[in-house]
Amino acid sequence: MEVIGQAWNLIILEPIVNVLIVLAHSLFSSFGLAIIALTIVVNGCMYPLTLKQIRASKAMQTLQPKLAELQKKHAKDKEKLAKEQMQLYKESGVSPAGCIVPMLIQMPIWIALYQSIMRLLAVTPEDFLGLSQYLYSWPVVYSALPLGDKFLWLNLAIPDSYLVLPLLVGGTMWLQQKMITPTTADPKQQTQSKMMLWIMPLMFAFITLSFPSGLALFWVTSSAIRIVIQYFVTGWGGLVKGTTPKPVGRDKKYMKRIAQVEERPSEYADTGADIVEPSSGQEEGKDYGESGDKRQDRGRGDSERLKGIRRQPGRDRSHRPKRR
Amino acid sequence: MEFRSNKVLLVKVLLFLVILMVSGLGVFGCVGRGSIPKGWSGGVVAEDTLFLGSMKGKLVAIDILSHTRLWEVPLETSEQAGGFGCAPASTAVAIYGSPAVAEELVYVSGYNGKIYAFSVGKDEPRWVYPREDNLQPIVGGAIVAQGKVYMGCSDGKVYALDAADGYKQWEFQTGDKIWSTPVIDGDTLFIASFDKKLYALDATNGSKKWEFETGGAIASTPFVYNNTIYIGSFDRHLYAVNATDGSLVWKLEVKADKWFWTKPVICNNTIYAGNLDGKVYILNAETGDEVVDAIDLVSPISSSPVLVDDSVIIASEEGRVWTIDTSNNQESELINLGQKIYAPLYASDGVVYIHTSEGSLHALNAQSGSKLWSLSLSS
Repeated sequence: MEVIGQAWNLIILEPIVNVLIVLAHSLFSSFGLAIIALTIVVNGCMYPLTLKQIRASKAMQTLQPKLAELQKKHAKDKEKLAKEQMQLYKESGVSPAGCIVPMLIQMPIWIALYQSIMRLLAVTPEDFLGLSQYLYSWPVVYSALPLGDKFLWLNLAIPDSYLVLPLLVGGTMWLQQKMITPTTADPKQQTQSKMMLWIMPLMFAFITLSFPSGLALFWVTSSAIRIVIQYFVTGWGGLVKGTTPKPVGRDKKYMKRIAQVEERPSEYADTGADIVEPSSGQEEGKDYGESGDKRQDRGRGDSERLKGIRRQPGRDRSHRPKRR
Repeated sequence: MEFRSNKVLLVKVLLFLVILMVSGLGVFGCVGRGSIPKGWSGGVVAEDTLFLGSMKGKLVAIDILSHTRLWEVPLETSEQAGGFGCAPASTAVAIYGSPAVAEELVYVSGYNGKIYAFSVGKDEPRWVYPREDNLQPIVGGAIVAQGKVYMGCSDGKVYALDAADGYKQWEFQTGDKIWSTPVIDGDTLFIASFDKKLYALDATNGSKKWEFETGGAIASTPFVYNNTIYIGSFDRHLYAVNATDGSLVWKLEVKADKWFWTKPVICNNTIYAGNLDGKVYILNAETGDEVVDAIDLVSPISSSPVLVDDSVIIASEEGRVWTIDTSNNQESELINLGQKIYAPLYASDGVVYIHTSEGSLHALNAQSGSKLWSLSLSS
């Protein structure tokens, strides 16, 4: 365990701590600017992963109605449900790992960034003394310390007494969450979405009341960057009523594949999903994928398409249409 | 039916939020910034009584003959509101500087930005500075000389107060925080600042005599010997500066790996300076040349060593206590206390007193290293 800790410090934590110091030294000795700059740089480096995650999440959202229907249908047969879900993922080209893996890869970087900022803020003398063990022997590092803790109206080492940062943290997180929250007709999903929409921003705003402003600055900057990336990938999303995220670039590939899945209902039949003919799936899928501006329509379209995924009374597997 | 299911979900959400907030309070909320200052006060002995600041924010007096607590007093007596629904915050004030004793009064500074003067045995301080409000945190210790109390503060100022009533005599502004304890030699006060400078001030009126700039911030306390000031800096150099005019006498050319955090000691014209890289640098006090290779104690040295007869007693952060025989510069381990040591060591009559980060006070025989007694100050 100790070896892992040492490796973590050596490979991840120490480089970030020292880069932050050099940045602060280069940016008018402002630790606040250094936090913002490094957050931007790290986000830039992780842009491909973030993009992948956003796209995968979006594609997952479009599959939600189908997944919900499968869950309803095979509520008592978990094994079959899993098989059906896997088949659906496979055919639509969407992988649940596509959302999680980029997030998992990014996680250590965020944790390291968080730890570095906390170490450099060195709120107590004990923290400051401990900081010396993470420093490189670069002259600039030794001459730049201790970093100034003043930035705009803030003392970066203590919580913002004017409560501006907690509001900014909560506000930007809410905006970001709202952009990715799907509009759904299902009241249960609506409640869940609302819950997700409020919990994280409230929690972080609350934590900001007691944490150093430097850390809150990092959260605000991260959220702002995510909002910008999100905008370029999905548009304003849930922020504008009646709109649906616009697909761009690789999103269209997902959408096309999802539409293709809907085009080939017999494959579901083959996997035991008891699917009969879908309703005009191909055209609707394409329209949705390319226009991307009528979320309400999409909801209706999905539910209409899903009408096709129904068990036919009196039919057993032997009566199902054969695979083409 | 739908209404009912929404209601159930709403209740679940509210419950979840309550749990979240409660755990948030527990983990982050009421502790303040997620990190709590604990203190690392060393001790000082006056007339068989050892005074030190405990990890519980109390000034404690211990009879070193019977090893019992004679008296203790917390620096703060009033509770502070927690805010945002938190319970009142802990009243314990971290004490980093060692107390100073003079004329029946004990002076101790707190991380709450106040300095107190207590009469031994009394629960109420004779005086407090400032009487209202607070200064920035005080990390260095205070010293008493010529009827004045001198101390540095995180607001970058050096304060001189009347030792009898606590009224301010003068103040001097430096460019950054001061965590160093001042040293007085004749009528000159020497103190270092995070602004990378060592200052020589007139102790009577606070006017600057000279300043000397190093390549990094300075947290350590200067050491005066033969009209020379010895001080280590964050730039990993040890400096010898002429006490009269502030000119550089020499600078340690062998770069240490980490900061010089503690005050050095000098014996037989040889300087012993511990570094956070875990090494003790042994140099000729006049030339700065290395007398022997640095002794590697492995763990950082963040507590100031003491000289007992011809031995330098030095502790490493991990809790090992060493002795260096100044006649041959050979080190040997006295004892492993197994507790972290940040507080400066203090020696009196061949006994070394060590205050560990666990809140225990240990008395060791400086020659044999045997533990004479221990006292827990955590209660």
